[in-house]
Amino acid sequence: MTEPWPLTDLDSVRRLRALAAGVRGAHVTEAHLEAPFEQVWALLDDLEGSFGQVVPDMERLRVISRNGERVEALAYSKYGMRARLRGVRRPGWCWLQSRFLLIGVAAAPEGAGTRVAFTGGVRVPGRAALIPVGVRREGGRSVQRLTDLL
Amino acid sequence: MPDERPAARSDDRTLRLVRAAQRGDTLAMAELLDVLAPYVGRICAPIALDQGPDAAQEALVAVFKSLRTLKDPAALRGWVRAIAVREAIRTAHRSARSVPADLSTLPARGDPQLSADIRDVLDRLSPEHRAVLMLRDVEGLDERTAAALLGVRTGTVKSRLHRARDTFRKAWTS
Repeated sequence: MTEPWPLTDLDSVRRLRALAAGVRGAHVTEAHLEAPFEQVWALLDDLEGSFGQVVPDMERLRVISRNGERVEALAYSKYGMRARLRGVRRPGWCWLQSRFLLIGVAAAPEGAGTRVAFTGGVRVPGRAALIPVGVRREGGRSVQRLTDLL
Repeated sequence: MPDERPAARSDDRTLRLVRAAQRGDTLAMAELLDVLAPYVGRICAPIALDQGPDAAQEALVAVFKSLRTLKDPAALRGWVRAIAVREAIRTAHRSARSVPADLSTLPARGDPQLSADIRDVLDRLSPEHRAVLMLRDVEGLDERTAAALLGVRTGTVKSRLHRARDTFRKAWTS
């Protein structure tokens, strides 16, 4: 085959929608932000700083190791609980899981602004399923906190 | 009909990812998404054209929703291909109802952009014809396998292919 056939690639937000579809109880909260992608992602990429301010109920996050796109971190909840998160982080994409937690964040340029998408919550231990309590509210809070930081 | 050609079988890493994803490991699901997204995009784009990203997204939504039902992980690619073709055809039909295709313009003769020629010719075909052409020329399937995948008779695939080829030939020699 030598003919250049049409190709398509999925941006990070579309990928997040697809992946969340496979997680029972997950809800994707999306918003368009009037800020360029670089500015938005700089906030979400700061795992030990602003990321913890955006993700609900997280007091702070400490990165233990990085290996290319792979990252391992300890998350401390406001209520004293600790979670060991493992996952992948790259521009526009962050997907972290522990035994009890799931955090998915995506961002993609949209016009002059940025589309962001959040998913996650309390995980049914070891399963691709979330306890479907507060998942919509938490997503809305993440969008609000991110907007406030911009 | 499962496609048993070596190219359709999944490699060891992908098999491990499927099994881990089916057990509920969302990191394995995310890694599997990285493996599948370019493949699904390659299937959906020639069929759904401008709606390629929508079709690819819907196909991957369907894949991850029903991944646990995949009994033989080694058959992943064939299974994903069938879902992607179905979603691409459905997406293309949905958009065609709301945005009628403009079939009035012919590709310019001797256009140096061959990709533009292909795109123009694909625009003239129905989603089903585009699917037949893609399955044979991009995926390398024989007519019998393509027919099974599309749920039509082999003769139907042959006639669709003939018509698609004819459209290509006419466009390129006009």
